[in-house]
Amino acid sequence: MRSPRILEVWRLGTVNYLKFLKIQDKLVSERKAHQIPDTLLSLEHPPTYTLGKRRTDHNLLIPQSQLTKIGAELHYTQRGGDITFHGPHQAILYPIISLRSIGFGARNYVETLERSMIEFASMYGVKARPGNKCETGVWVGDRKIGAIGVRISSGITCHGLAFNIDPDLNYFEHIVPCGIADKEVTSLRRETDALLPSEEVIHKQLITCLAKAFSYDDVLWKEDPSVILDTQR
Amino acid sequence: MALRLMLASSRIASHLRISVSHRAFSSVVLKDLKYADSHEWVKIEGNKATVGITDHAQEHLGDVVYVKLPDVGRSVSQGESFGAVESVKATSDINSPISGKVLQVNKDLSESPALVNSSPYEEGWIMKVELSDAGEVKKLMDSDKYSKFCEEEDSKH
Repeated sequence: MRSPRILEVWRLGTVNYLKFLKIQDKLVSERKAHQIPDTLLSLEHPPTYTLGKRRTDHNLLIPQSQLTKIGAELHYTQRGGDITFHGPHQAILYPIISLRSIGFGARNYVETLERSMIEFASMYGVKARPGNKCETGVWVGDRKIGAIGVRISSGITCHGLAFNIDPDLNYFEHIVPCGIADKEVTSLRRETDALLPSEEVIHKQLITCLAKAFSYDDVLWKEDPSVILDTQR
Repeated sequence: MALRLMLASSRIASHLRISVSHRAFSSVVLKDLKYADSHEWVKIEGNKATVGITDHAQEHLGDVVYVKLPDVGRSVSQGESFGAVESVKATSDINSPISGKVLQVNKDLSESPALVNSSPYEEGWIMKVELSDAGEVKKLMDSDKYSKFCEEEDSKH
């Protein structure tokens, strides 16, 4: 009988992007060294634009000098994908998991992330679909509701997905989101008439959908985020 | 579609002397190469080696849209990352199966990254390396071992 697959989940509230990168680096090293099990970070960022490894900064439509005026930061990352926006009321999940133990490649991994978000959206009666070729992500019609950008190193994942609950969509006007012009960005708030519960409940639902999609036997909810937020350790 | 691929791969198989099992979605493995468990292949010719990623790897990546090539002249170490490929919004590190110095990189991949998908063992080669330790090749898998390794990995889900 195989040993049960456990996912450890840390819910961290709002975390500045640079701080998150430090936490992520530490956890990825620990996961590679088998010091921690598969781990998931659930959090939000203050208004932040991020770029992927290809550094497609031509898709930022305002000069970088204007970013502080709109209260946003810009960060370059090693993840796949194009430019995107993160901000309050957008649920972000960062799985730091071993793909080798489930025999997954990048494609299976990303498709399962898409399925997690689609399943979650369906809880609110929203019929979402995976993106077409070259349009990885989750869509409602021609409107993008969930974005994905990940990095896989020695079979360990980092970065992850962002699902729009009710972010300020105006921030997306300053970029060509994910490098795809002429397509709208949307949110759960826009797509459903259902009453939305608290964001804590919503995040837990999204996490549960992901855990189910990846066939975890158990989810361990870690209660003390200060353990992970203190990166001096 | 699957039948056409099976027949095509059998013809290619007998031409190239490779083993192809006709399970659905089994990937191509070439007999004269060595393989790392991170799905890179290496062709050794004297003290020079050509490196790329396997058919199994490209299938599991999806359509490659970008290849980050190493700089010519840099050193690479067995088991360590030397570059990356991007597909389906995922950047996947690629690890070197051998140690040495990068002599040449496949510049065609900058214009046509999809060569990694369409021709992983031929036109999709990634770098040529001057070996620093020929003994390291012993740590790699031959084609039979690698085929079994792929089957075991695929059966995990």
